[in-house]
Amino acid sequence: MAVVTEYYLLLSAAVFCIGLYGILTRESALLFLMSVELMLNAANINFVAFSFYWGNLTGQVFSLFTMALAAAEVAVGIGIILVLYRNFEGIDVTEAATMRW
Amino acid sequence: MVIDVAGVSAPDWVALAPTFAFVAAAMLTFLVDTVEPRPGTSSNAALAATAVVGSLVAFLVAGYFLVAGVGQPRGTGAVSLFQDQLVVDGMSLFFVVIVGSVTALVSLASFDYLEGQTYQAEYYGLVLLAATGMSLMASANSLATAFVSLELSSLPSYALVAYLKRNRGSVEAGLKYFLVGAVSSSVLAYGISLVYAASGRMKFDAVASTLSTLAADGEFFPGILGIGVVMILLGLAFKTASVPFHFWAPEAYEGAPAPVSAFLSSASKAAGFVLAFRLFLTAFPEVGGLAGGDPAVDWVVAAQVLAVVTMTVGNFAAATQEKVKRMLAYSSVGHAGYVLIGLAALTQGTDHGLVLGASMMHLLVYGFMNTGAFLFVALAEHWGVGRTFQDFNGLSTQAPLACAAMTVFLFSLAGLPVGGGFLSKFYLLLATANAGTWLLAGALIVNSALSLFYYSRVVKAMWFEEADGTVEVESYPTSLYAAVVIAAVATVLLLPAFGLLSPSAFDAATVLF
Repeated sequence: MAVVTEYYLLLSAAVFCIGLYGILTRESALLFLMSVELMLNAANINFVAFSFYWGNLTGQVFSLFTMALAAAEVAVGIGIILVLYRNFEGIDVTEAATMRW
Repeated sequence: MVIDVAGVSAPDWVALAPTFAFVAAAMLTFLVDTVEPRPGTSSNAALAATAVVGSLVAFLVAGYFLVAGVGQPRGTGAVSLFQDQLVVDGMSLFFVVIVGSVTALVSLASFDYLEGQTYQAEYYGLVLLAATGMSLMASANSLATAFVSLELSSLPSYALVAYLKRNRGSVEAGLKYFLVGAVSSSVLAYGISLVYAASGRMKFDAVASTLSTLAADGEFFPGILGIGVVMILLGLAFKTASVPFHFWAPEAYEGAPAPVSAFLSSASKAAGFVLAFRLFLTAFPEVGGLAGGDPAVDWVVAAQVLAVVTMTVGNFAAATQEKVKRMLAYSSVGHAGYVLIGLAALTQGTDHGLVLGASMMHLLVYGFMNTGAFLFVALAEHWGVGRTFQDFNGLSTQAPLACAAMTVFLFSLAGLPVGGGFLSKFYLLLATANAGTWLLAGALIVNSALSLFYYSRVVKAMWFEEADGTVEVESYPTSLYAAVVIAAVATVLLLPAFGLLSPSAFDAATVLF
């Protein structure tokens, strides 16, 4: 095994945190979607790396599911962002704040 | 594989018949739409009828299977399908009964609510597909099927909340629901990946057995596993509208069309809980110390914290609201806290079946009373009544039957003995007292007392305040009225029938331990 498995964990944790940071700071809904994509792919790194570590394929298969679901999620998300653009003349997520906690 | 359904041998996939009913009805709505696509035609009635019949079939078949013993120890035993990826047992059937009844009520009410809207086939199709996902969540027996079925129920829900696409509130609600949902599903996926990292398995029971083998061999990574378990708990908190992923709930429920709010706050919450129950009790029982010994990852304590915080946040926030729909949304968060007792009161030595069964019964009763309350709001929106408490003033003079039904829902939600909510809360209290978790018991009592305050504000407005005369109730929409009245009758009937139904919940719960 060329790379120690712990490094994959560190890499995926870093990617996950970058995605989370993006979600907490960005205002554009599209950048939000990209950040979510990063978080999902952080999980994929884990799945593939530990699939190799444990010597079974279930992790790799799960990563395929994650990718398909991420695509479906983006499809629904883009639709919602489109109607957001029509109603609020922009895709700034902080603009859509007519309801208060 | 062949199973025995009440004396008739059938292939084992027949046990999934309720789920197939949802799928078939969803496909049928699209077929109806292909034949008669223009809105405002007779196809609207056909669409609503398809959705109601499909979900009623799912409800009745699941109920029949429960009675006939399918998936239960006295009948066929748990039916495993697709190499144990899905399992049909008493618990999954019980939750399909909840999802089926809520879907039927919501579809019935939507017929009048959607009057004049375009894209009705898509609406019913999405509701039925989301219900399919929820019934699969009840059967999911591996982390992979759990994730896929959770997404199958989430993705249609996002679109449903934003259904009124020219209404700013609905779009904003859809956006917030989607954003929080996307984040929480990636948190869930990451949690699953960490549990896979620690165990190398996906099936719930295989995770549990591998973890104990690894612990015996000393190759156990409690750190990775612990973070994974907590992240899974947080990911599921989104689906059940519990703290910390609860803040989408008031926005989504307020902005969404009211029948969709009813659907999400009852059926979606129940589906999230059944997945949480099965996942934590079959994949992490020894890790959580349920089998005795020191817990490696004490998720029972995590659930206790979440339960108390969720109850308190939900109820205190509900008490400060000015809008009825928003108040109901926060009360729904509070009820998620009550149901979390099912995981939080699983201390060592207590009757685990009682604890979990009480939560399941609360979700069943909640399915009727909360759906009914949101459908009453749908009725009020149909009449053009405003959103605040004052707008409901004197409504009882014009619509006494609907207001009586709403009063039943609200008092039953608060736990007064007018509906099944009294007994289910009583059992929850009994379960916490048995488990010796006095903090939970105290929080339950204090929050229920507080909830009576804000629920009675609506009742007071409807029955005792004078109407200001701005609202004229001209029409009495039949299907919306029927749905509200059916929900009210079911809520009241669940009080005497509670003892009849609760054994199936307690039996189904006991099997998991």
